[in-house]
Amino acid sequence: MLLGISAVSIPIIIHLLNKRKFQRVIWAAMRFLKISVEQNQRRLQIEDLLLLLIRCAMLALLAVALARPAIKAATAGMFGQARVTAVLLLDNSASMSATDGVKSRFEKGKEAAESALASLPLGSSAAVILASDIADGLIPEPTIDMNLARKAVREARLSDRSSDLLPAVRGAMDVLGRHTSLRKEIFLITDGQALAWRNFQPIQRIVDQSKADVRTHLILIDAPQENNLAVTELRMTSGLPAVGRPLRFEAQVSNFGSSAASDVRVTLHIDEDPPSDEAVIDSIDPGSSKSVGLTGKLRGPGFHSATASIAADRVPADDFRTIAIRAIESVKVLLVDGDPGREARDSETFFLRYALAPVSRSEASDYFVKVNTIGAAEFDGVKLDDYDAVFVANVTDFSDAALESISGYLRHGGGLVIFPGSNMQASFYNEKLGKKWRFLPAQFVGPFGDASQDERFFTLQDKDFTHPIARLWSDPASGSPASAHFFRAYELKATDSAATTRPEGDEVGEPRTVLRFADTPKNGELAGKPAVMERSWGMGRVVQFASTADTAWNDLPTRTPGVYLPLLDRVMGAVVRRQDEGLNVRVGERFVRQMPGELIGRDAIITPPRHPADQPKDARKIEASPRTRMATLAYDQTNRSGAYDVSITAEPPVRLAFAAEPDPMESSLQTIAPEQRKTLGESAHVVSWTGAGAGAEFAAEVEKERIGTEFWMSLAIAALVLAAAETFLSQWFSESK
Amino acid sequence: MAKTPPNLLLDAEAISRAESLGLAARYIVEGYMAGEHKSPFRGFAIEFTQHREYVPGDDIRHLDWKVLGRTDRYYLKQYEQETNYVAHLLVDGSESMKYGSGSISKLHYAKMIAAVLCYVILHQRDAVSLGVFDEKLQTYVPRTGNLQSMHNILSLLAGFNPTRQTNIGQVLHEMAGQIRRRGIAVLISDLFDDEQQVLDGIQHLRFGGHEVIVFHVLDPFELEFPFNGLVEFEGLEQSPKLLTRPREIRKSYLREFDAFRARLREGCERQNCHYTMINTATPLHEVISGYLAFRRKTSAR
Repeated sequence: MLLGISAVSIPIIIHLLNKRKFQRVIWAAMRFLKISVEQNQRRLQIEDLLLLLIRCAMLALLAVALARPAIKAATAGMFGQARVTAVLLLDNSASMSATDGVKSRFEKGKEAAESALASLPLGSSAAVILASDIADGLIPEPTIDMNLARKAVREARLSDRSSDLLPAVRGAMDVLGRHTSLRKEIFLITDGQALAWRNFQPIQRIVDQSKADVRTHLILIDAPQENNLAVTELRMTSGLPAVGRPLRFEAQVSNFGSSAASDVRVTLHIDEDPPSDEAVIDSIDPGSSKSVGLTGKLRGPGFHSATASIAADRVPADDFRTIAIRAIESVKVLLVDGDPGREARDSETFFLRYALAPVSRSEASDYFVKVNTIGAAEFDGVKLDDYDAVFVANVTDFSDAALESISGYLRHGGGLVIFPGSNMQASFYNEKLGKKWRFLPAQFVGPFGDASQDERFFTLQDKDFTHPIARLWSDPASGSPASAHFFRAYELKATDSAATTRPEGDEVGEPRTVLRFADTPKNGELAGKPAVMERSWGMGRVVQFASTADTAWNDLPTRTPGVYLPLLDRVMGAVVRRQDEGLNVRVGERFVRQMPGELIGRDAIITPPRHPADQPKDARKIEASPRTRMATLAYDQTNRSGAYDVSITAEPPVRLAFAAEPDPMESSLQTIAPEQRKTLGESAHVVSWTGAGAGAEFAAEVEKERIGTEFWMSLAIAALVLAAAETFLSQWFSESK
Repeated sequence: MAKTPPNLLLDAEAISRAESLGLAARYIVEGYMAGEHKSPFRGFAIEFTQHREYVPGDDIRHLDWKVLGRTDRYYLKQYEQETNYVAHLLVDGSESMKYGSGSISKLHYAKMIAAVLCYVILHQRDAVSLGVFDEKLQTYVPRTGNLQSMHNILSLLAGFNPTRQTNIGQVLHEMAGQIRRRGIAVLISDLFDDEQQVLDGIQHLRFGGHEVIVFHVLDPFELEFPFNGLVEFEGLEQSPKLLTRPREIRKSYLREFDAFRARLREGCERQNCHYTMINTATPLHEVISGYLAFRRKTSAR
């Protein structure tokens, strides 16, 4: 403004400069000129002064008007009430679905939002942003069209996303920062769930730092809920989702309430079918979770959804959980035997063959796993892409062509499982499969131990199973891998710690430990070292074992068949289902799926869960992935939990499904602590919204705060009047007199 | 101011028109009748009046040989009644006459008027005397009736450069005292002086029985004052500078200027003098022929 006011000096400077800029004339009739000047001098001076004053005043008024001055006084009402630039942040996270039996928190939030809009003075503008763990701008920039803002509020939809108010508060401040207005206000309408304030300090700091410029109204929807049960996890514990075979699922139910829940019935649905299984949990203590096993069958090949649900309570969003599964009709496994032996029983792959297809010979042809065994010498001539998984046991080495073939196989989603043995050349593996191709998650170091004796052995871990392949043994009822004896084994030394991309473009995943040797002194040099490791490679996966597949170096197949069989089943599942890992995402996460290249450019129609039939569906173009030259479908509007159906317009049409799972923490209805609320009250106007009747009271309270108004328009009009007067007077004065 | 070449002062068209109209005396001037009777033909007369020193261009026939023989000095004998009438041309040579908005100054215009009138008068065998004045008479060509004196007159006019202010009244009074015989006094000036004193001078001449003709020479800018913007006016006759916006005082200036001209015109008319306002933008031949035609029409013969 000071800069603007300094513009007042411009007419004075122009006036003074003009006095120096004149035409010189030699003149004879000075006598008459002198008389005329004497007669008019005073008048000219007064006219000059008057015009100068008008010009200065005009510029001063303009400068002050551009600075948008405001009167912050109660008497400023003569200029009308101050216009407000407002941002409405309406929480639409899953916890807002909680209902008191009549109205949900979200519906009450909408009422509060409409009251906030109604309280805005004439000429105000408002933006509407939905707040969950992201800021979703329905009207991202303030509009003066209040009907549009009201419509946006009324049509706002609840999401199943988690809560974090920081992005929304930051976004609102950014929006208001771009606008100049006397009054800027944020209406943050939320249920006060503690999770939403997980970034309490940053939010409080932002609100506090801006309080001189932006007034924040925190409207807490007052609808306490004391009990909430939620399905917080659902997973398939069977190795492979084979068609028509019983599959085991595990559902976890958590009690977020303050009292114990009893007789909690959990049901499992496959697709839209009637419940396939149900179980009852006797009791769940407050703040604890219980898992229950359920069984279901996939009726046909392709994509299916499995949903575990409990009886509906006051927070319906978390009473079910859905996962997507791709059913497998058959799995073809290739076993490469590096030491076939004289008899079948001596073969390196003997136990593998029976573990992978644990049925009699007569039933083998009907079993979904088809196993084919070849010798190491035949490996070069095999077309690997015909198999879903390749198990390599005690193979000495590989030709360069075979390694090239393995890389192509893994790149397109194949699975490779490597077992060492006495024939294996560890240095070749470390050099070629490790350093050169980076297939191996670990270097073979050793081996350690003596296989010719029974006294000294290594044992596997008996607890802390974190890898999905081994998590099965977290439940003691499933047996314990610690019973097996390992007389001889390699130390697996992880190659590199982080995921990288090879120069050829293949993504090489981080090496992960599936099973490790128990960290006991008895295990000597292998104490705490990995026994099984895996890594992803391209679209495929490699699993590396520290000891043999047969009983040459350990008694895992014979001593603990209850561990050996599920382990191999799950390893096979892990390598075969590598592509299906991305089928289940968190709500709000981006779903990405690689598909055959011929689908590039096709349209994918996506139907979100519980999508109204009369609403248009989402469509996405299938893009080409620059690295893998495969078709890639990406979709990020996963705001609802449940199964998403994808239909791709190809010949024949391709259908697939994926699922979005909600954040289990969102089920916790614990509210913001009273001291936090008090702290917020120091920088914001905190209101408890009890119902529709609170609207009038709230509006009166807010309006009382809005003292003061801008009067730049009056100043601008005055400047315009002066400009007109200046034009008229300068014309009139310049007329000859 | 650059010296004007003498021959540029004679406007051929003005002369050709003026010759046919002539300049006749409006009142009875002494010697008029003699002129009517063709006497004296060669311009020498009966009565000796005085001696005058010879100046180049004078007719050597009038040299007083006796004086030359006695004193070795060149003197002319002057006679009265050697012409029909004598026109005394007075050209204002003050600094204010230097002004000219266009290519021609008021002084140059006045010189041209004087030159043409001299030629016309001499051509019809009347006599002229010519004086250029500012505060006083600066240069003077005595009475001559010889057309060959034109060269002398033109040289004198062309060679004059203004340097002083004006005092017209004083000069007119002096002239009135010097001219003994009644004749025609022609005043060519912008008259930027006290008009009452100018009129008193004219009255003095009129009192001596002379006919007085006033050519009031003015520049078109002085008549219209067409300036715009901020202008600093610098006076030609040592007036202080004036900074003003002329557009805003034009009406006031023109009012004053018109009143000045009106007072002069009325004063002249009261004394039965011809007052002719000349705008230097008007071609000289129009001015001369217009005045002579008007004079011919209004002269009582």
